[in-house]
Amino acid sequence: MDQLDLTIRIAGENGEGVLTVGDVLAEALARSGLHIYTFKNLPAEIKGGASMTQVRVQDTPVRSPGDALDILMVWNQENYDIHVGEVKPSGVVIFDPDECEADESLALTQIAVPLQKITKTVIKTMKSKNVLAFGILTTFLGIPVEAAKQMVAESRWGRRKEFLESNINALKQAYIYVADNDIDLGLSVPVNQRNGHAQLIMTGNDALCMGALAAGCRYYAGYPITPASDVMETLAKAMPRVGGVLMQTEDEIAAITASIGASFTGAKVMTATAGPGLSLMVEALGLATMEEIPMVVVDVQRGGPSTGMPTKTEQSDLNLAIYGAHGEAPRIVIAATNTEDCFYTAVKAFNLAEKYQTPVIMLSDQHLSQRAQVMSRPDLSRIEIVERKQPEVNGSVSPQEFDRYEMTDDYVSPMPLPGRHGQHYVATGLEHDEHAHIDYSPEAHIRMTEKRHQKIESAVNEPGFVQRYGAEDAQLGLIGWGSSEGPILEALDRTLAKGYKVAALIFKMLQPLPEKEARAFIESIPVVSVVELNASGQFANYLQGRLAVSLKRFNIITGLPFKAGDIEEYIEGVLQYG
Amino acid sequence: MAEVRTADAEKTGTTERSGDEGRVVKRKLKDYRSEVKPTWCPGCGDFGVLAALQRALAERDLDPKDVVIVSGIGCSGRLPEFVNAYGLHVVHGRALPAAQGVKAANPDLTVIAVGGDGDGFAIGGGHVPHAVRRNQDITYIVMDNQVYGLTKGQPSPSTPTGMQALRRSVSMPKMAPYEGVLEGQLNILAMVIVYGCSFVARTFSSQATEMAKTIGRGLDHPGFAFVHAMSPCPTFYNTYDPWKESFMPLPEGWDTGDRIKAIDMAMEEVGDGVFHSGVFFQEEYRTYTDKLQDVYTKAYGDEQATIDALMDQYA
Repeated sequence: MDQLDLTIRIAGENGEGVLTVGDVLAEALARSGLHIYTFKNLPAEIKGGASMTQVRVQDTPVRSPGDALDILMVWNQENYDIHVGEVKPSGVVIFDPDECEADESLALTQIAVPLQKITKTVIKTMKSKNVLAFGILTTFLGIPVEAAKQMVAESRWGRRKEFLESNINALKQAYIYVADNDIDLGLSVPVNQRNGHAQLIMTGNDALCMGALAAGCRYYAGYPITPASDVMETLAKAMPRVGGVLMQTEDEIAAITASIGASFTGAKVMTATAGPGLSLMVEALGLATMEEIPMVVVDVQRGGPSTGMPTKTEQSDLNLAIYGAHGEAPRIVIAATNTEDCFYTAVKAFNLAEKYQTPVIMLSDQHLSQRAQVMSRPDLSRIEIVERKQPEVNGSVSPQEFDRYEMTDDYVSPMPLPGRHGQHYVATGLEHDEHAHIDYSPEAHIRMTEKRHQKIESAVNEPGFVQRYGAEDAQLGLIGWGSSEGPILEALDRTLAKGYKVAALIFKMLQPLPEKEARAFIESIPVVSVVELNASGQFANYLQGRLAVSLKRFNIITGLPFKAGDIEEYIEGVLQYG
Repeated sequence: MAEVRTADAEKTGTTERSGDEGRVVKRKLKDYRSEVKPTWCPGCGDFGVLAALQRALAERDLDPKDVVIVSGIGCSGRLPEFVNAYGLHVVHGRALPAAQGVKAANPDLTVIAVGGDGDGFAIGGGHVPHAVRRNQDITYIVMDNQVYGLTKGQPSPSTPTGMQALRRSVSMPKMAPYEGVLEGQLNILAMVIVYGCSFVARTFSSQATEMAKTIGRGLDHPGFAFVHAMSPCPTFYNTYDPWKESFMPLPEGWDTGDRIKAIDMAMEEVGDGVFHSGVFFQEEYRTYTDKLQDVYTKAYGDEQATIDALMDQYA
């Protein structure tokens, strides 16, 4: 049997419940031992506008949102018109004949299911329309009614006992309707295997929150912003339970400066935001670099500039993350690639921040932050945690003798903490000497600039932040960073299978730049192209500037994530036509 | 003598206030002097504020390792450098959020935020109401000289409107060359009372003893304490003479528990051309830390087991 690979999209009016159908379907399939990858595209408004949710299901880990659709369910005409063009020739459209008219000229299987009418006349609770829609989908996927009932019972629809019966009834009506009308798509998605607690269904934001907690994050300050707000909400529930503090501040400037204050006392701190918030944080990020204060700043990138497209995805804050500072304020910038990686990258972000006493910017993006994927449950006892270099407690060195910014071999100096160490000092954003005294002399500025830069540069030797894939003798090399890893690697596998000689190099650390790996890759392959979700090729420009090389680029700026098919076509295009 | 005593305090690792076991001699004002000499102009009111703060710290015999002084940018923002304690000198206007982070992460510390009128009520003005709302046990001393000193004498949010200030300043006419200061004067004290602050006081740098006492009351107050420390700038806007004239204590028997009266007084004194010194308002509310303690009582558990349990919601 071929590998299971179905892409299912449900689209309707925003606020109508289509997103719930997608969520429940994804969770149910994931609990049944399958791998899922969700993708939502919604307007920034709370109610109204077209919204859609998509679930791609496979029996192995899913790496990208899926190309053309196998199943499209639409609830109204607007959504039919928007999405019908994306259905595969072999695909199926499920539409409500009372709400929309199908285009008969299309060579597609189009099945009319009067969702609205059945809900109104048979089920008689409008709230159950989404359970009915769910049932139609599970029937078409060949999921037996008993298994589907269990899915409903285990879902949010089963949480309240008083509604369970009517929800199960709605589900049954779906199976009755499909049986009565003798519809069979011939699908049989295997849902026998049960996932215990070993597999987790998480979004990128969920995973990074758990990673942060596991790494020891005990102070979070933040300001609401799409698509980072759910980091704050998740931690609001979690933080008090581990003795931490979550503070919703009055703006992002307060969030980052409060985080600096908390870290000054020794707490492991984080703030998460999106591009507009990161813009506001830039001044204080420079302060954290200057005072050598560890902290993690998560930027969940969204479409920009300005307010831009808050609910769309883009990789367009790279320049800001790397260069956003007055003066020269080096910091570490890393990017997560998928949901599971959000967990481990968050852990690494804290470890790097503490080890190098520096702000670490962790880049995510709207798509990565909101989509759900399946990941293996992390074993917390095996997570390595790095602690900050500190002076000896009860050490006899007086504050007058102590050098907070002592020049050490690794440029990292022991940091005394208020209430804990007697070596009190004044951390200042002004240029200073080893003793933390203000010093504008050329010598002090040269020494401290070197300290700040060398410290960050040495982090390039940290393992696991750059990885090469594909053919050794590649004719075309793709470079990607962060969340484009999945679609790049899927496209790589597809084109390798077709006989193309391609390779990929994926960066998870962007500053400091793993130059050695980048140069070796670029010099060994005739044509190298940088694949990223932005218009100007920010990473390509950065690589060109650092390495003095010339690179091709492949950029899309639709506000949507890469599809593996986009990149596959690009690879074939370059290798066939140059 | 002082060193021996400090070492003792460190050995016990205590964060307790005065009367620590094994310590006989209390700290003196000079024990809170750092090795850095103040960089302020001769005659700056901030010298008085610094000394008053050091005296208040000495009276409470606070261990320098348990004291964090947080500041933003401006002449007065340099104060932490001159105190023998922990200091956190941040960006312009952000002393309050930084101080709140310090206090939230370690409530055992004595946290003092300091800064000027520009730092606190122009660039940083948006943070004041929120610091008040959180009511953390922080003392915020605003050294108000009604001028931007470090940038050489531009009008600030508390500069009197119109031509009034220009007569005493050689620098301000540069920014207000025609009709004087076009913007109105902010009533800082009234604002903070209206925000709902749990402790609001005013004091004058030329009245050293009284200032130390007022700052001390702020330190003792369990909650966000606002100290409006009038501190003249002899270089760019010399207000010593008029302020000496117009400063007077709050009326005998002043009721510090009446917020409305405090607002009235703060509004009326402007028309009367006087500054009242003393505690305008004080009331104890539950602090942010108090409320957090309640949350912890309900939620706290073994950390790793809790995180594992939190992950169950995704299973």
